[in-house]
Amino acid sequence: MMFLRAPRRSLLGTQGLIGAGILVAIVGVALYGTLLPDDAGRARVAQPYAPPGAGLPLGADDLGRNLLDQLIVGAGTSLSLAFIVAAATTALAALVGGAAGIGPRWLSATLMRGTDVMLVLPELILYILAAAFLGQSFGTRVTILALILWPVPARVLRAAVLTAWSRGHLEVARAMGAPRWWLLLRHGSYLIGPLLIPVFVRTAMRAVIYDATLSFLGLGDPTAPSWGTTLFWVQTNGVFLSEAWLWWALPPGAAITLTVLALALIGIAVEERLNPALREATR
Amino acid sequence: MPWRYAAGRLAEYAAVLAVALTLNFALPRALPGGPLKSFGSPEALARLTDDERAQIATQYGFGKPLHEQFLDYLGGVFTLDLGTSLSDGRPVTQALGEALPWTLLLVGTSIICTALVGVTFGVLGALRRREGKGSGLLGTAIVLDSFPQFWLGMLLIVLFGVQLQLLPTFGVSGVEGVTVSGVLLHLILPVTTMTLTGMGYLFLYTRSSLLTVLTSEPIQHAHARGVPYGRLVRRHALRPALLPVHTILMMEIGFLAAGSIVVETVFAYPGLGRLTFDAITARDYPLMQGAFLVLTLMVVLMNAVADATYPLLDPRARTGGGP
Repeated sequence: MMFLRAPRRSLLGTQGLIGAGILVAIVGVALYGTLLPDDAGRARVAQPYAPPGAGLPLGADDLGRNLLDQLIVGAGTSLSLAFIVAAATTALAALVGGAAGIGPRWLSATLMRGTDVMLVLPELILYILAAAFLGQSFGTRVTILALILWPVPARVLRAAVLTAWSRGHLEVARAMGAPRWWLLLRHGSYLIGPLLIPVFVRTAMRAVIYDATLSFLGLGDPTAPSWGTTLFWVQTNGVFLSEAWLWWALPPGAAITLTVLALALIGIAVEERLNPALREATR
Repeated sequence: MPWRYAAGRLAEYAAVLAVALTLNFALPRALPGGPLKSFGSPEALARLTDDERAQIATQYGFGKPLHEQFLDYLGGVFTLDLGTSLSDGRPVTQALGEALPWTLLLVGTSIICTALVGVTFGVLGALRRREGKGSGLLGTAIVLDSFPQFWLGMLLIVLFGVQLQLLPTFGVSGVEGVTVSGVLLHLILPVTTMTLTGMGYLFLYTRSSLLTVLTSEPIQHAHARGVPYGRLVRRHALRPALLPVHTILMMEIGFLAAGSIVVETVFAYPGLGRLTFDAITARDYPLMQGAFLVLTLMVVLMNAVADATYPLLDPRARTGGGP
C-alpha cells in the first residue's frame, strides 16, 4: 500500500533538521552547564597555560581557569541571551509593525520614519557604544540589543499586516465595522503568525554574533564566562603564535559558528516553507 | 518631483545625524554616579587629585545647565574641537584625523570587493541553481554568513601568517616605514576577512532576488516567445533583480564600517576601529566619544552616497515617478 501514501514532508526538511539537531545538542550542553558548580570556568584549577591533560580536556587559560568549563557555561549565556533578545525584539517588532500597518495614517508615518532613521544607524556600533557607557550586565545587554534590533523585523511584519489587510474577507469584516485590532488578532494572525518564526530565528542569530563580538572587544560581563570573552583573552595574550590556539581559540569560535549556523539552517528552512506568504509580503 | 524625493532623504539624514549626536552627548551623562564617573575606571578616578577633577569638570562644562552643555558640545563638534584624549593627551581630532585615512582605505576596498564578489556569485548561484556548483555556492555562503568576523580573522592569521608565513599578520608599516607595497600587503587579510563575512548575505539576497525575477510572468512569457535565455537574463532580468540588492548593499555598508572596529582590532591595523578599541580598553571617554561619532557619521555619509547612486540603477527614481 506504499504507493497510496502521500509523499511525506517533514516539517523542516533535511537542512532544517540538521540545524535543529545542532541546536538541540548545544542546548543539551548549556543545560549540563547549569549542573556545574557556580565557580566553573572562573576558579583557578591548574597552572596558567596548562596544555590539555587529565581532567582538563581543553587545558587552562592564562589564569589557570578550566577552558572546557568556560565553553560549557558560555553556551548557557549565549543561548539564554539570544532567546530572550529574540523574544523581546519579536514582540516589539510585532507591536510596532502591527500599529504601523493598521493604525491611523499619522501613527503609521511616524513609526515608519522612525524605523528608517534607526535603519541607517549602524547596529553594532550602537551596541558597543551603549554597552561601553551603560554597563555590561546581562540585563543591560539584553535591553540594548532588543531596542537596537527591532527595526528590520518591524518592517517585515508591517508588510505582512498590509498584505493580510487587503484580503477579501478582512475587507468585508472591516466594512461591517469590527474594531481593527480585533480583526487583526482574530482573523489576521494566521497569516502573520508564521512569519514571527523566521523573525525570531534571525534576531537570535544576530544577538549571538553581536554579543560575542562585544565580549571579544573586552566589553562583556567579566564575571560570567562566555565564548566571546575567552576569545578576548586569546587576542590579548597573542595565543595564535603558539599551538595553544588549537584548544584555546578553536573551540569557542567553532561553538559560536555552529550556533549561528544551526539557527541559519532552521531559519532558511522555515522561510522556504513560508515562501508564498513571504513573496506576497514583500511585493 | 525629484526635489521632493531629495528633500525627504535630506530630512531623514538630518534626523539620523540628530539622533547620533544626541546619543553621543547623552550617554556619558546618563550614567549613574555623575558625569565624572564616565571618565575612567574607579581606580583611575581615585588617583585623580581635586584639581584634576575640577579641571575635567570645567573642561567638559559639566557645571553648566544641560542645554548650555549641549550647545557647547554641538559647537565643539562643528568647530572640530572634541576635547583631549585622556590616555595620551593628544587632541581627539588629531588622533581621529590620523586614523581616518587608514579606515577609509580598508572599508572602501572591502565594500568594492564585497559587492563584486557577493553579486557575481549570487548571479551564478541563481543561474546554476540546479547544478552541483550552485548548491555548493549556497552552502558555502550560509556557512560563511555564520562565521563571527573576528574569529575568521584569527583563523586567517593562523593559516596565512603563522603557519604558511605568507602574509603579515598585524600593523601596516615595517621597520623601514610605510611603503605602497607594504600597505597593500597589509590590506589583503583584513579585506579578505571583511569580504568573506560580508558577502554571504549579499549572495543569498542577490540569488533569491534574481530567482524571483526569473520565475516572474513577464520573463517566463518572453522565454516562451523564444527570447534566448542569456539575452533574457542580461537585458531583462538583471536590472530589476539588482535594484533591491542595492538596498541590501547599503545596509552592508553600515555592517562593514562597524566591522572595521572588529577587524582592525584583530589585525592591529592603525585605523579608526583600532583607535576605538584602544579608547574602550583605556576607558578614554573623550576619544571613545569622538571615534564613535566619526564612525557613525561615516556610515550615514556612505548611506547617502549609496542613495545618491540609486537613480543610476533605477530610471524611475531619476524622474521621481513610480513607487
